[in-house]
Amino acid sequence: MKRSIRIASVALAAGLVLSACASDEEATDAADPAAPEETVTVDPAQTEGGLLAAVQERGTLICGVSQGLPGFSIQGDDGTYTGFDVDYCRAVAAAVLGDADAVDFVELSASARFTALQAGEIDVLIRNTTWTATRDRNEGGSFAATTFYDGQGMMVDTDSGFDTIDDMANTTICVQAGTTTQLNLESQFAARGLPYTALTFEGNDQLQAAYFEGRCDGWTSDLSQLAAFRGTWPDEQGGAESVKILPDVISKEPLGPLTSDGDSEWFDVVQWVVFATFQAEEFGISSANVDSIVASTNPDEEPAIGRFLGLVDGFDPGLGLSPDWAVNVISQVGNYEEIFLRNVGPDTPLGLSRGVNSLWTDGGLLYAPPFR
Amino acid sequence: MSAPVTTGTGADTARPPQRRVDPARWVRDNLFPTPFNSVLTLVFAPLVVWATWRFARFLVVSARWEIVETNLTLYVVGGFPREQLWRLWLALTILAAVFGLLGGVVGVTAREAAVAAGRTTATTRWDRLARLGPPALLLLVLLGFSRTFTPLLLTGAVVAIGLSLSLVARRIPAALRRAVPLITVAGVVVSLYSISSFGGVPRDEWGGLLITMYYTIGALVVSYPVGILFALGRRSSLPMVRWVCGAYVEFFRGSPLITLLFTGWLVLPFFLPADFPTPTLVTRALIIFILFTSAYVAEIVRGGLQAVGRGQWEAAQALGLSPWKQTRLIVLPQALRAVIPGLVGQAISLFKDTTLVLIIGQQDLLAIAQNVTKQDEFLGQGYIIESLVFVGIVYWVASYWLSKESQRLEVRLGVGQR
Amino acid sequence: MAETQQQRPGRATAGQDGPARPPLWRDVRVLRGVLQVGFLVATVALVQWLFGNLTSNLDRLGIRRDFTFLDQPAGFSILGAPDFRAQDTIQNALLLGLGNAVRVAILGVLLSLLIGIVVGVARLSKNWLVARSASAYVELLRNIPPLVLVIFFYLGVLATLPRLTEATFLGDVAIISNRGIWVAWLTFGDGSQPFLTAAAVALVVALGVARWRTTVFDRTGTPHRRVLWAAATFAVVTALAFSVLQPPIEPSLPVLDGRVVTGGAWLYPEYLSLLLSLVLYASSFIAEIVRGSILAVHKGQNEAADALGLSSSQRMRYVILPQALRIAAPAIGNEFLNLTKNVSLGIAVGFAEILRVANTAAGNGQPAPQLLIVVLGAYLFLSLIISVIVNVFNRRLQLVER
Repeated sequence: MKRSIRIASVALAAGLVLSACASDEEATDAADPAAPEETVTVDPAQTEGGLLAAVQERGTLICGVSQGLPGFSIQGDDGTYTGFDVDYCRAVAAAVLGDADAVDFVELSASARFTALQAGEIDVLIRNTTWTATRDRNEGGSFAATTFYDGQGMMVDTDSGFDTIDDMANTTICVQAGTTTQLNLESQFAARGLPYTALTFEGNDQLQAAYFEGRCDGWTSDLSQLAAFRGTWPDEQGGAESVKILPDVISKEPLGPLTSDGDSEWFDVVQWVVFATFQAEEFGISSANVDSIVASTNPDEEPAIGRFLGLVDGFDPGLGLSPDWAVNVISQVGNYEEIFLRNVGPDTPLGLSRGVNSLWTDGGLLYAPPFR
Repeated sequence: MSAPVTTGTGADTARPPQRRVDPARWVRDNLFPTPFNSVLTLVFAPLVVWATWRFARFLVVSARWEIVETNLTLYVVGGFPREQLWRLWLALTILAAVFGLLGGVVGVTAREAAVAAGRTTATTRWDRLARLGPPALLLLVLLGFSRTFTPLLLTGAVVAIGLSLSLVARRIPAALRRAVPLITVAGVVVSLYSISSFGGVPRDEWGGLLITMYYTIGALVVSYPVGILFALGRRSSLPMVRWVCGAYVEFFRGSPLITLLFTGWLVLPFFLPADFPTPTLVTRALIIFILFTSAYVAEIVRGGLQAVGRGQWEAAQALGLSPWKQTRLIVLPQALRAVIPGLVGQAISLFKDTTLVLIIGQQDLLAIAQNVTKQDEFLGQGYIIESLVFVGIVYWVASYWLSKESQRLEVRLGVGQR
Repeated sequence: MAETQQQRPGRATAGQDGPARPPLWRDVRVLRGVLQVGFLVATVALVQWLFGNLTSNLDRLGIRRDFTFLDQPAGFSILGAPDFRAQDTIQNALLLGLGNAVRVAILGVLLSLLIGIVVGVARLSKNWLVARSASAYVELLRNIPPLVLVIFFYLGVLATLPRLTEATFLGDVAIISNRGIWVAWLTFGDGSQPFLTAAAVALVVALGVARWRTTVFDRTGTPHRRVLWAAATFAVVTALAFSVLQPPIEPSLPVLDGRVVTGGAWLYPEYLSLLLSLVLYASSFIAEIVRGSILAVHKGQNEAADALGLSSSQRMRYVILPQALRIAAPAIGNEFLNLTKNVSLGIAVGFAEILRVANTAAGNGQPAPQLLIVVLGAYLFLSLIISVIVNVFNRRLQLVER
């Protein structure tokens, strides 16, 4: 009896350790538990093009997104994700795998996001992350492109009597910890000579709860995030009309996807997927008409569109993707305009206008290098 | 009247048989024995009545429990895919079956051993009922919020399977009993795999009470043997081994668990070669729990080893046992018996410490208690109190149950009475 | 990797029974030496392998490996430290976090010891109501995870206090709101240093007087009244110093002015919820230890004290508690250690202890490995200090005993 208890406990320990290891493999390759081990070895930088091949072999893209930010990445009751950042994850998956739904989303806090990317837990980080020099260099990641030109703003109660940030001396401001927003807040208030108290939180949801309770007089964040929370402000707390966003724009906040340093092929893929959404809008190609355009385009007459849609024989930019990758992106996810309007546009709770997030032809900042 | 030995509510020590007491006299003796005590009673009584009244009123009347009712599944399993829930019931059934079997066999073996040794295992019916209280309360708390009867029926079935197998186990011939622990292990492993493998749900999609239990049990099972090894290492006659094991134990005992979890979260992947697959966050947190708990177990077991007299070693040596056998057959059994309460205490600590994974972004029971208040229908209406009270009760009942069982074990083993 | 693991623990005891083969192998000293060297080499190799991976991974990702970032400006402010500027260095921010942690730890240790002793004694009270209430206190608090307590106090209690605009005023001395509780305090002006020194001297003198009274009592047996003597000495000396030095010390009352409260001491919710829950949690364990220790004091002691005609409170105060605390000291020291480590729970509610500061810095682009090394080092240092203090205290107690 005693002997078998001993054997049993050793076997149990061994079994648990083994099963813990086994589950790691399954986590990265949930589709096929019997897959050979080398397919699960996520190795971002060992060899050139390692991650692209790894993602294609794995069959899913692991995308780091934020922990519930309306309009950018939010999980519905049925477990599916929607949002602006989520659509870019899906666009990358459509280009690389031909299937926009082949994405595993990993929710990350502001403090954890860079480590997750560095450690290879995620393939790409698309989490409303601001492009700064320090981050590009120090955090072991590379910003591929800007998908959303944002600025930092301040939200206050409508009846607070504040009309500009300069009115906000001796106030308490809520801000998310470990963000550029926090640093900008410090420098702005210091530059304006306004005494204040910063109350920091790890997550937007905790911050919102504190704002509801009246623990702070202002909430500073990216304007798009403020719009998102204002648009979904619960009626119990007075609805969207009870808060307003001040006209001051504190800083530039270019948001975009990051890839891990040292894998230029993967970096290029992510970058050109973003450019493809710009270019599609410029060409007037959308998910609604992409099939008919593919059918009707004569590559000899319209070589630019032909090259973009992969209709020109022998043209291959060398991204390591199938020729029709841009078609997949557009048909399954859409062009920039569709992505913008669907998630954050005027008809959504966020109600954002295009502003500087318009094509360069419309006076905006979106500009894709030529596809040739 | 020769009343049976009854223990009053929550009484810690066995009392002599109670006599029929005059209430007035009881009040005078227990509430107003001296002027000072009278003042105390007069101050405390309104306070206690008020607090009890407020809490009871909250539980029964004013609490808006719909947040728990709506999200009960979320509290229990987190983001576990709902269409895969049958796997959990399957695993629970397997576990109930094997542990029912084990419980029955252990009970019968212990009873036979007691009879053989001439000891009596006198437990009153009341004691046995009292033992069932906390687990029954735990089930009641969890199932009471269910809006359908399915969980209740399924739980009833699972419990029935466990109980009937424990009855069956009593009739198993002694020769077959040896196989039961092995069957239990096989059952635990099979149940684990039946959740995560064969098209199942990988561990990083587990949440709620499920992930809390996974961390607790997983870390316990691995860290106890490892901790014993470190304890033996600290008692080794080789200074180098002693120092290394000592440094390990002191390092992990001196560091806050949260900081270690942060290290596991943010830095542990860097300690592995670049071409090594990064373990999931769940596995990394489990590794940290194991490292941390092993150090505490090592310290507890070391205390037990120190309590074993030098004479025991010498007697074992005189019998010509090898050092390994001296340790395994003579010293460790005595040492472990002496520290069982400490080891159970450590298990309770671990159970409570699993809440810390919330800080590294895991969806454990406590994290879900906070998250559900952010759902549209509950946002910004102060539901956090109901939610926290609910999980607080779950944690409390489970810990209380374990600590009561530990006290019972302490008495049964006669620890500290020799 | 595989071979290093095999050589880890267990070998220590298994190795001594080497087979009786050539003399070198039979020589226990050689065998022990070889085993130890092998064990050490394996351990060092394992550690080196881990850190080798760390450095090569950091290099590969272009993350800096030095500690020069400590001198960079932090860029963020710290709650509860209005004097800390965003231009101050990360090093200063971390030190401030450490200071916050130490402050909570010291206050927590004192309060939990006090409450723990009271509740522990109360559990053994003859008063049924008091004993039951104390039991309920202990059983309730020690079975709830401390993190649940912290979050409950933060979100469930302090956050539900009235808003600042509707704050509750307790006369002029306290303002209670969900942005914190402000209580009347003292402001120490610039010239108050000499007076504070004088007060410290007064304290030392008072302690000396107390000791002198004790020796007098030991020698002559006249009542020592040392507390009275010491208090009187302290009061007289400080009053004298105050009237002579005229220090710029004034009472500071909290005043609500629009959206800010000026004056008073600010107990902000992050700090208060952490301190409260740590004290409640630790005191429940200390109470249990105190109760066990009192029960462990030999029954004869109580009976002997009774025979001497001491009252029940005198018996507790002079006979039982001193002996019980001697028994309890190591276990209570352990609880102090736990409490200190639990200060890091503050990160859950945003209390700026050192881990929280480091985490914020890591989110703003500073390297996490180095920051965590600093935090671990700081907490290990605190643990070490507490262990040393507890050990010294223990040794003194034991020496006094026999």
